[in-house]
Amino acid sequence: MLASDGRDEDWVRCAQAGDRKAFSELVRRHQDHVYRYLLRMLGSHDDALELTQDAFVKAWQALPQWQPEAQFRTWLFRIANNAALDALRRRKLVEFVPLEDSFDAPSSEPDPEHQAQATQEVRQLEASLKKLRPEHREILLLREVEEMSYEEIGRVLSLSEGTVKSRLARARVALIEIHARSGP
Amino acid sequence: MSDAGKCPKTEALSALVDDELVGSVRHALDAHVAGCAICASLLAELRQLRTTFTALPDVAPGVDFASLVDRRIAAAAVVPKTEPKLRPQSWYWWPVAPAAFGGVLSLSVGAYLGSALMLGTQVAEQPAALQMAAFTAIPPGALCPGLQVCNATGR
Ligand SMILES: [Zn+2]
Repeated sequence: MLASDGRDEDWVRCAQAGDRKAFSELVRRHQDHVYRYLLRMLGSHDDALELTQDAFVKAWQALPQWQPEAQFRTWLFRIANNAALDALRRRKLVEFVPLEDSFDAPSSEPDPEHQAQATQEVRQLEASLKKLRPEHREILLLREVEEMSYEEIGRVLSLSEGTVKSRLARARVALIEIHARSGP
Repeated sequence: MSDAGKCPKTEALSALVDDELVGSVRHALDAHVAGCAICASLLAELRQLRTTFTALPDVAPGVDFASLVDRRIAAAAVVPKTEPKLRPQSWYWWPVAPAAFGGVLSLSVGAYLGSALMLGTQVAEQPAALQMAAFTAIPPGALCPGLQVCNATGR
């Protein structure tokens, strides 16, 4: 019997054995994070909704390949990130859509409190993030929003820790430069 | 540059912001930054960036993906990548069997094929690992020896 606060890995073993309820528990645990990441990567609520579902369906399909050494969260984010990069590539092939113009926040929740909180600084950061290259945006989101360690980021992006360290620094400098150019 | 030596690479300052540096490396960097206005300014910018990230509003989807995903898995009978091809093999013998073995035998073959097809449908909705569950020894320490136990959690 699994406790609802049990470790992800225990639920994954049940899901691997075909238990869809166990997989649903995993989806519930990670859905908000995956959605949030995809929304900020793609800048579109609708795309994030669709790709979040796709990522979980792909994870279900790939469950037989999951190894107990792998942290479920980083394994899942790897799938989600690949889906995001594929979508960005497809978007580029079909038409040029600058992220800044296509961004739409979740329309389901008009949040006046959030509006009030969003300081000028935060709004600038959101705008600058959208202008970053995807490889810089992904690593910053994993570090600053998902609060992953260098090791975890390395697993998601298939990078060595040394590369994570240097790419993160370059991403930060790029963001600061964009921020400075678009300053008040 | 400063009295405290050559300026470190930006990635060192970035790692300092992340608390990823320890011991003597960290002490040396702290000492340098204390005496170098250029690095101190860059470090302040990097720290400010981190602070601003923490102020980013949380974006909740307001959607229960679990039920949406479960419906997709069930409805589309999502097939795991490693699924063996049961169906084409079963169908291959279907037109041959009645002619070759007569009525009684064909009925039993038909029944066998029918059950094989049903098995195929069932399998398609489950990860490939389950298909081997009946033949696989329970690994030591595994919490989930089979589907029955997982289903018995009363969730
Ligand atoms: Zn310096």
